[in-house]
Amino acid sequence: MAHDHRKLYWQIFVMLFVLTVLEVGVVYIPGITKGLLISALVLLALVKAALVGLFYMHLSSETTELKLTVAIPMMIPMFYALVLIVEASWRLLRNVA
Amino acid sequence: MSAEAAAAHDHHHHHAPRQEDYPVDPHYGQATGGKLGMWVFLLSDALTFAGFLLGYAIARGGTKPWIPEGLPELGINFTACLTFLLICSSVTMVLAFQAATERNKQETLKYLGLTIFGGFLFLCGQYKEYFGFELLGSLVANFHADWGAWLAMGLTDEGLFFGTLGGSEYSAYGSTFYMITAFHGMHVLTGVGYLIVIFIRTYMGKYDDGNTNHIEICGLFWHFVDLVWILVFTFVYLIPE
Repeated sequence: MAHDHRKLYWQIFVMLFVLTVLEVGVVYIPGITKGLLISALVLLALVKAALVGLFYMHLSSETTELKLTVAIPMMIPMFYALVLIVEASWRLLRNVA
Repeated sequence: MSAEAAAAHDHHHHHAPRQEDYPVDPHYGQATGGKLGMWVFLLSDALTFAGFLLGYAIARGGTKPWIPEGLPELGINFTACLTFLLICSSVTMVLAFQAATERNKQETLKYLGLTIFGGFLFLCGQYKEYFGFELLGSLVANFHADWGAWLAMGLTDEGLFFGTLGGSEYSAYGSTFYMITAFHGMHVLTGVGYLIVIFIRTYMGKYDDGNTNHIEICGLFWHFVDLVWILVFTFVYLIPE
């Protein structure tokens, strides 16, 4: 009845550790452009957050309805962040032109 | 009262239903009411953090320079260690839950204890980051001058404050930093208290009947605190000016 998930939990732990090392590592890459650096950092953080939510908080084994109950409200701040990024990029490009 | 009703009555009063005894809901499966309640709370909490981080992004985008002259930069290496600490305490939390599903009380207590210890160390780290450990620093300075000086030093000693506390000049950089990290720190403190309650209840044998529901729900809160830190670490510490 009780499944042993220890292997999965340790695999996620190793992935989180490696991704954290990568995060700190990319900051120290000499000459990396700011746009690339920020994109890499945000992507790494989102992957780590997803790993914790899906496997440590067991969202992956919940029903589709519970997954959507969590995912849909979280898309609202993501959408807001996207609007902010688009707006900031537009301002940057306008100043360059 | 029939024997069956009496048994149901007895069951109702003395044992919380186990996860696998829970009726299967057509939409939420065997997720218990407590679990759904925690998820709804975590959503509201996540949106609060999202509001803070979005406000932070707007303030930071409109402030040049973001770090005023003379104020310290945030240490990445030290907070990377704090991040590692929270990841460790997350894996010990799921291992406690795994042990609980196997009704292994000793192992459950061991891993809950390690999780509490990890949270406690994180809080010590955050205290050091803010204020420094002066007494400990002066003791260590007897053996190693540099380490002692480092231990005694916090961001407030370097002039970084919330608002205009300590007679400092206001900076959005300082205020947003303390607001976001302290709000997260309060969650760690709450989580440690919550974990201690679950530890004591496990020790008292409240979950000896195989009911792992409370341990799983406490784990949800604890993992959420780790998840939020992952985002705070990236946006507040890692993204350079």
